[in-house]
Amino acid sequence: MIIAERKRFEEIRSMLAGYKKILVVGCGTCVTICWAGGEKEVGILASQLRLASNKVGDELTILEATVERQCEREMVEEVKDKVQQVEAIVSMACGVGVQTMADMFEGKPVFPALNTTFMGMPEGEGVWTEKCGGCGDCMLYWTGGICPVVRCAKGLLNGPCGGTRRGGKCEIDPEKDCAWVLIYRRLEKQGRLDLMRKYYEPKNYRAVKRPGKVQAMQA
Amino acid sequence: MSVGRDNRIIAFCCEKSAYLAADRAGRMRLCYPDNVRIIRVPCAGRVGTLHILRAFEEGAAGVLVMGCQEGACQHLTGNLRARDRVRYAAALLREVGMDGERVKMVNLAPDTAEKFVRAVKDMAEEIKER
Amino acid sequence: MGIFLCDCGGSLKNIDFSKISGDLEKLEGVAFVDVSHSLCLEEGERTISSRILSEDIDRLVIAACSPELHERKFVTLVEKLGLNPNLLSWANIREQCSWSLEDDVTEKAKELIRMAIGKARLLRPVERRGVPVSRQVLIVGGGFSGMKLAIELSKLGLGTTIVERESILGGKLNEAEGFYGLEIGPRRMLSLMMTAIEEDKNVEVLTSAEVRGVRGEVGGFEVTMKRAGEEHSRGFGAIVFATGYRTEISPQNSEIRPGVNVISHLDLVEMLRAPERLERRPSIIGFILDVCDENSRLPTISALNNALAVRDKLGSEVYVFCRNLKVDSEGVEELYGEARERGVVFVKFDEAPQMHCDDGQVVIEARDVLLGEEVVLRCDFLVADERALPSEGTKALGSMLNVGSDSQGFYQDGNVHLYPVASARKGVFFVGGCRGNMDLARASNDIASAVMSIYALLGPGETVIEVEKVKVDRDKCRACLTCIRACPHGAIQLLRLSADKEAAQISDLACDGCGICAAVCPAKAISFEGYSDEQMLAELETIGK
Repeated sequence: MIIAERKRFEEIRSMLAGYKKILVVGCGTCVTICWAGGEKEVGILASQLRLASNKVGDELTILEATVERQCEREMVEEVKDKVQQVEAIVSMACGVGVQTMADMFEGKPVFPALNTTFMGMPEGEGVWTEKCGGCGDCMLYWTGGICPVVRCAKGLLNGPCGGTRRGGKCEIDPEKDCAWVLIYRRLEKQGRLDLMRKYYEPKNYRAVKRPGKVQAMQA
Repeated sequence: MSVGRDNRIIAFCCEKSAYLAADRAGRMRLCYPDNVRIIRVPCAGRVGTLHILRAFEEGAAGVLVMGCQEGACQHLTGNLRARDRVRYAAALLREVGMDGERVKMVNLAPDTAEKFVRAVKDMAEEIKER
Repeated sequence: MGIFLCDCGGSLKNIDFSKISGDLEKLEGVAFVDVSHSLCLEEGERTISSRILSEDIDRLVIAACSPELHERKFVTLVEKLGLNPNLLSWANIREQCSWSLEDDVTEKAKELIRMAIGKARLLRPVERRGVPVSRQVLIVGGGFSGMKLAIELSKLGLGTTIVERESILGGKLNEAEGFYGLEIGPRRMLSLMMTAIEEDKNVEVLTSAEVRGVRGEVGGFEVTMKRAGEEHSRGFGAIVFATGYRTEISPQNSEIRPGVNVISHLDLVEMLRAPERLERRPSIIGFILDVCDENSRLPTISALNNALAVRDKLGSEVYVFCRNLKVDSEGVEELYGEARERGVVFVKFDEAPQMHCDDGQVVIEARDVLLGEEVVLRCDFLVADERALPSEGTKALGSMLNVGSDSQGFYQDGNVHLYPVASARKGVFFVGGCRGNMDLARASNDIASAVMSIYALLGPGETVIEVEKVKVDRDKCRACLTCIRACPHGAIQLLRLSADKEAAQISDLACDGCGICAAVCPAKAISFEGYSDEQMLAELETIGK
């Protein structure tokens, strides 16, 4: 799932300088689940903006809405009426949602309230960790289901860097596990340690990969 | 003890502890400022961050979230969640340029009427000074 | 809506009722404002009844003393008159208003009532319905606590099934030698209880049986049990853990390892059963307490009992090394007194004693705090320090029902002060040794409490639930699992609605109405009638005006 975090309030506020009527729109999918941009957070941000404006006597009218999935045109369409009433939009969706809104309503500036960080999963209440970097060339077969591209701080593809700390911790961030230690242990458990010998070629970044596009076969 | 719109202290009181303590304070005829408005909740964990912020939007000068003592919540984690939300709300208030001390978490037992009164009076003082 | 004000027999003198009454009558939607002297007495009930029956009102606001006093009475009254009790809103103008200030509080009272009115406008009815519950109770563990509980529940007509892991009932009763201060001994007590159970048609006993899994909730738990290699499921209304405790010689006594001369209490008890088998009568026996476990109620009782037994049966000299003697159980102070009178010597230490074996004897060195001197004792046997721990399998059993454990692994009470034998999960209880730090008198108390709670729950054969008082809006639910993980009562499940849609489902029976789920839901998909966001905000908004 896409994980995002809300930007600092001052940053969001500064984007809105000069605007008097705005729409804060949340998304009911990934960012609701990772507690960053759902209906609740829309309410909180709107409340903060009102408190901040009242404090300095600024005029600010805020409309609130939450779209089920902000990356679907049909769903974004539903807030059309509210969009027409405002000068600018603050989107609390991931980067995809923000851009969908921006594409749909080209006449209105759309500002991001979140920083989209990674694809990840919950580790505990309120904690999400990165698991996938969307590299487009999945190698999880070779690494026992643990991705070195994003879980190794250096993104090494052929084993640890040699700086692994005691307890299997990463040289760069001792709070984190060394991904290659995890991979080794996992393959050992599965009796597939021979896979460690596989040499993985460096990823080919020459081929134009961005912006990505996928054409699926018939549904 | 003046009564003005901007002087209100909203006290979200858990019905198992703080609400009972407030009742007891009344039975003991302990006096406290009249700008306190008690909102009864089944558990301090029912109080959300948004409730706290909206209280300020409606003109409250201070907010107290009052629940059971840690370890004694019938719903196990209600008062712990409330404490974390109060901390979060205080941070959100500071982000907006308001004083984070205006919202506080108070833990008490159902018979500690004096503690209830003390908490309310402390918040009233806090507000006066700012 | 109808508004009732009560001036408590005319005693709330710092509120101007006529002024408030006049102001409130003008509000939109208010059918009438009645000022009464005593709503809680018969005249008040009559007033309310006649108003509800004669006027066209669909909700009530009561401004009087604290709802803690009479809420239940009014709820019953209103329900009888055909008005849903959830359409009742309360303003506490006595304890939390009139009594908390000497000056005039008319303005404050008015504002509190207006808050209640704001909330009342948004209240919705919640249906109350009786659901049948199973009156059969599952008791896991057939020791003293389990057996006694079964017997007591049977007296109230509730059927029980005791599931005991071993092949015989009795638990620690099979091991204990005697009870201090009681005429009856453990063997006799066990035999009496077993006879009572055998003759009791309400009690079913399954020995050599184990609980494998539990599904469902209070009133209708579905328990899978394994016996003689076969698994089968049964339904129960409530589950009680009576799984007891075990003792362990703590490895902290690292100098000392159990061996020929260092023995456990159990070893000692066996020795005392057949003293003639000993090669020679031991002249000195030492006991150690309080080194590995601060909460040493049970080990203390064992040590004192056994020390006396040694004096009786072997006549050996007995020394007890202890830090603090936990005598807060019933009769233990006397036990201690008698031990001293009969010549047991107590050596109080602060730093843990040093022990080593030498030439077939155990040498204990300790600094006696009262003498201020080193004491060196050579004894023939050392009865090692023990701690009480939860029985094996306690944690696994608890996790089947998501019941928590405390720091030592014993079952954790739902609320230490108010609900000691109940877990946070409705319908799941624990009694006896598995709660930790137990003694016989406390276990009996546990049983009495549990019997009351279980009977209140299952006795009538049906339980009244508030239908969908806390409810998940399936369209908004993202199945993010937050509420399911957050609910302290295990009342929320993930329900599959169709091939591609799942949503959270709250059980009305297991729900305890705390509202944590409603607060935590990131999609704001959970509504809580009576404490919804809108209703709480309505109270706040009144203050703004």
